Amino acid sequence: MQHMNGNPIDTSQLLKGVLDLAVLAVLADHDSYGYEVLRRLRESGLDGVGDASVYGTLRRLYQAGALKSYVVPSDEGPHRKYYGLNDRGRGALDQSTKTWGSFTRALDHLLNGRSTANAR
Amino acid sequence: MPDSKQANDVASYAAAVRVALVDLPDAERESLLEDLENHLAEVASESDLSLQERLGEPAAYGAELRSAYRAGSDAASTRPRRLFRDRSWALIKTASSTQAYRELRAILPELRPGWWVLRAYLVVLVLVFFLRDGANLRPIPNPFSRLGLLQVLATLVAIVISVRLGRRGMPVSRVWRGAVLAVNVAIALLALPVLVSMGTGYTYPFSSGYSADPFSAASAGYYPGFTNIYPYSKEGQSLKDVLLYDQDGRPLVPGKTDIVTDVPTGADGLPIPNAYPLNERNPNGDPIVPPRVALPPRQTIAPAASPTATPSP
Repeated sequence: MQHMNGNPIDTSQLLKGVLDLAVLAVLADHDSYGYEVLRRLRESGLDGVGDASVYGTLRRLYQAGALKSYVVPSDEGPHRKYYGLNDRGRGALDQSTKTWGSFTRALDHLLNGRSTANAR
Repeated sequence: MPDSKQANDVASYAAAVRVALVDLPDAERESLLEDLENHLAEVASESDLSLQERLGEPAAYGAELRSAYRAGSDAASTRPRRLFRDRSWALIKTASSTQAYRELRAILPELRPGWWVLRAYLVVLVLVFFLRDGANLRPIPNPFSRLGLLQVLATLVAIVISVRLGRRGMPVSRVWRGAVLAVNVAIALLALPVLVSMGTGYTYPFSSGYSADPFSAASAGYYPGFTNIYPYSKEGQSLKDVLLYDQDGRPLVPGKTDIVTDVPTGADGLPIPNAYPLNERNPNGDPIVPPRVALPPRQTIAPAASPTATPSP
């Protein structure tokens, strides 16, 4: 996903719809604790994502049974609660990826059609 | 930021977030905030800035948490329904925790054998009802009916079978469990109307005007509401062996009761059931005492002056 700074689209509204998918995608790569998930989301370009949103999403996905969770003691700071995908989470990620794919294809088609029409 | 100051910052920020989410159900809030302190400590350790400077107002943070946690389950629409469901559950839980309910639950298993006996009786009752051949149903087993002994035996056999089945316990399979439950409910439901329609000795006037009672076999009139008739002459003399017939010429016979009647026999050997007063005895053999009657004062006017006299042409 590209930066949309300066774009009239409200990025936070877009994020709301796809945050589950983004969190699942991050965790599919490797297990992470809450703050690390946030950092990796921001590193991948989703710098508008809020800390509370990520934390709340993790807790919800965990409660819904899509994530496994375990505590890893840390020498430097507090214990870290790691999250990772279980089978259900992987199923949800596959499903959401397909939905996202068809959604973006449809939108791309719309936008490309408009730009070629303008070019004429 | 020194560790102690940072810990204080985390604690106070987390407390403020909890306050912002105080309206959530306890279990939901705890599962959401279970790891909040550790998470906030992680955030705080990354920078020297206070949590408020990095994350904004605790109330706003709480609101964002709430919407992220509740995303997908549209809070506005599910809330009243959930509230209703929670209330209903609370009500059921309160009711089921009362002493009266617990005592009732404790007694129910002890009542089970009672139901085994009762359902056996009801099955026989329902069978008798459907096989009764039009006759009015009396409480069964009725020792004064022809089939009384058979009904007693059938009831006893049914009780033995029912209790043996009951002691065997409920089947393990869910399908059979359901079937057993359905049969029990069916017995109870079938027996209800039969019990309601069952006569209690007094015969209901409209139920069987002309029944196939042994007493009224000769297409006799069937007259409920009396068990005997005591005719008197106008002189006050008690009359014997008065034969009574209704408007259709049928012998007048009382409704069948437990009272034992000695019916005189005619020259042709057939019983005469309408010779009044009937010679009746109580079921236990005691004689029935004729009632004391208040006879009207004797008419002294000449018969010709009677208003019912037919005028002569």
